[in-house]
Amino acid sequence: MMRPSAWLALFLLACAAGAGVMAAHAALRADRLPQDAARLRPLVAALGLSDLCLSTEARYTRHPAVSDPMVPVMDHPGAIEHFPSGSFFIPPR
Amino acid sequence: MSSAIGKQLNLLDYALSSLVRRWSKNVAIVGVFATVIFLLASFHLLTNALTRFARELLVTAPEITVQRLVAGRQESMPLAYQERLRGIFGIRRVTPRVWGYYFDERNGANYTVVGMDAKSPLAGRLASVLAEGRFPDRPGEAVLGGTLYRSLDLAGRRVFSLARPDLSRQAFTVCGVFDDSAEVLTADMLFTDLESARRLFGISPDQVTDLLVTVANPAEVQTIAAKIAELLPDTRVVTRRQIQKTYEVVFGWRSGFASVCLLAAMTAFVIFAWDRASGLSPEERREIAILKILGWETSDILIVRFWEGLLVAGIAFLLGLLAAYAHVLYFDAGLFRPLMLGWSVLRPTIRLLPSVHLADLLLLASFSVLPYLAATVVPAWRCVAVPPDAVIR
Repeated sequence: MMRPSAWLALFLLACAAGAGVMAAHAALRADRLPQDAARLRPLVAALGLSDLCLSTEARYTRHPAVSDPMVPVMDHPGAIEHFPSGSFFIPPR
Repeated sequence: MSSAIGKQLNLLDYALSSLVRRWSKNVAIVGVFATVIFLLASFHLLTNALTRFARELLVTAPEITVQRLVAGRQESMPLAYQERLRGIFGIRRVTPRVWGYYFDERNGANYTVVGMDAKSPLAGRLASVLAEGRFPDRPGEAVLGGTLYRSLDLAGRRVFSLARPDLSRQAFTVCGVFDDSAEVLTADMLFTDLESARRLFGISPDQVTDLLVTVANPAEVQTIAAKIAELLPDTRVVTRRQIQKTYEVVFGWRSGFASVCLLAAMTAFVIFAWDRASGLSPEERREIAILKILGWETSDILIVRFWEGLLVAGIAFLLGLLAAYAHVLYFDAGLFRPLMLGWSVLRPTIRLLPSVHLADLLLLASFSVLPYLAATVVPAWRCVAVPPDAVIR
């Protein structure tokens, strides 16, 4: 009969194998990242892009780099920030 | 040496058997603990991946962007500002641009419309990121982001129209579609010529949205930005460094969602630690007393408790971390995406690449494993100080 510590070793081995498989997949994707970035940098330069397109619901989460901290609340006096994505981004300073 | 290892192995076996005896309780603890670590690690991996995207891509963002502010809002600026900037020594090129947001009432989506001079020397380099078609060379032609193109559902047609402010229609001809690898930048984008963008937004021909300034010597960016701000006091001058800095800090633990995550994790842990620190169960006390009567030393009992704590916290940490990595790598942080996208109609498909650093592991471990060990060993140490016969009686 196997010792409990042997089961633990098997479990750790399985975790290591899982981590290895995921790391290999990530490495494959990471290989493409520099190539994609090299292709996209001229686009950023050509169009003068300042932001990533992560959320398209509000202008201050679509373009946080060219927004002011008060933009979420400047639609009208007493306006409150109400877009869900607003809770994901820290207001730029 | 080997006897010391053998002893630790035996103690480890005993600790594992002890955990298995109370398996239902320990499985529940590992489950809750792993979930907390999964949430924290997922958020950390997601924001790391996004920050990395920004760091890799925005290195070619405009060196200086000049925008006009009126009453705290960005407004169109006279094209004549371009001529005024030519007087500043060190500026290589000033590129006018018209851009803005178009709300499409048909599907409730927001588009980012960018209009630039088709003859701009920078714009000519776009062809490498087009999945099909070409760069616009006639008025009224447009290149669309992949997500935007699919949402329009043109069914093979190349012409579509958008409404101007006066409700007349403006036709665009699709001359190209951005490649899917550019989704992270262009998913909601309609790129067209300067004049078509002006007509769509109802902006007069002598106005633009902003000016992109290219500087001859990068070391002079700050100086030139200061000169522009002095020359055009009604403008906001944004440098490339400021754009990059925004993405270094825009995702962090101080955002609302992250704070809630962190607070929930800490509350769960404090409740748990309180329960552990308030004392061991009668069954656990009896077990320790019996071990002492059987001749176990106090240090051995503490080592067993240490192993138990380490096993529970370590296994939860491993499972939580691996699940978080898979969540970001294979599901592109699917649990958090609804929050990040909010009510967005156009939803960019972004393939994330998580990366784990030693500093991240230490940070997560210091939040979880170390406090758990302390919360496990300290009550045991207090218990072994009590005479065993008092516990048994």
